[in-house]
Amino acid sequence: MESQSINSKNIYYPPGGILMWIIIFLELFTFGMALVAMVIYSKDEPEIFHSSRLLLNTTFGLVNTIFLLTSGFFMAKSVESFKAKNIKKSTLYLKLAMLGGFLFLLLKSFEYYEKMEAGLSIGYNTFFSFYWMLTLFHVIHVLVGLVILSSVYVGLHKKKSNLELEDFEASAAFWHMCDLIWLLLFPIIYLLF
Amino acid sequence: MKSHLYFKVLLFLLTLTILAALVVILDIGLKAASAIILALFMVKFLGVAFYFMELKRAHVFWKSAVLIFASIFLGLVLMIV
Repeated sequence: MESQSINSKNIYYPPGGILMWIIIFLELFTFGMALVAMVIYSKDEPEIFHSSRLLLNTTFGLVNTIFLLTSGFFMAKSVESFKAKNIKKSTLYLKLAMLGGFLFLLLKSFEYYEKMEAGLSIGYNTFFSFYWMLTLFHVIHVLVGLVILSSVYVGLHKKKSNLELEDFEASAAFWHMCDLIWLLLFPIIYLLF
Repeated sequence: MKSHLYFKVLLFLLTLTILAALVVILDIGLKAASAIILALFMVKFLGVAFYFMELKRAHVFWKSAVLIFASIFLGLVLMIV
């Protein structure tokens, strides 16, 4: 079976493409700066941040981390199978990667519902303002990621598919970016204060 | 071979996730706990970037950029905490 490859050693062709990596860095800096701002604010109100952090369900955050990491694993496997031109396996892994994303959103929705029911809305205090803004912004990324993966899924199913490895890798890079952002959010919001 | 590597990386990342949650339960002081939690998550961050995103086969510029970002973020947060 012939396999596809791109010379990623070239500075202009990182895996996923240079434009995707520019987006990834912009996103990481945006979330990174917001999280640093959150930590700075926590120094002014340490009690409020600590008591508010205790109102979050760490188990939900932990399970969501597991969902996203496992989803990222299946995404990597899907790209690997696509490179080996094993479309059947690639489709299966892609579906599992998307399932991880859906489970993440399902649990997040439940968590949001709980917070709203308890009256812990965006204006409750500084901690919850950061919590809602950062996690909702991340959820939007996961939603966009799922739309992108759905388009890849449709591309894989077309009889005369024009889906290129570059497109697949760029979509996968976006999906992994959602993992990376969550790996910045989870320890700071759910564990640190 | 590569398939096994992905699975090993996943197991490693999941183990680190659980370890980070356990650190919160242990009463070892805010500064020490923060340092351990953030260090564990930075290892995970790099694991996802280098293995799942295949950055390990990219040009050294991209590898360095991710490493620098992770170091600056970790350094800044630890400095403030």
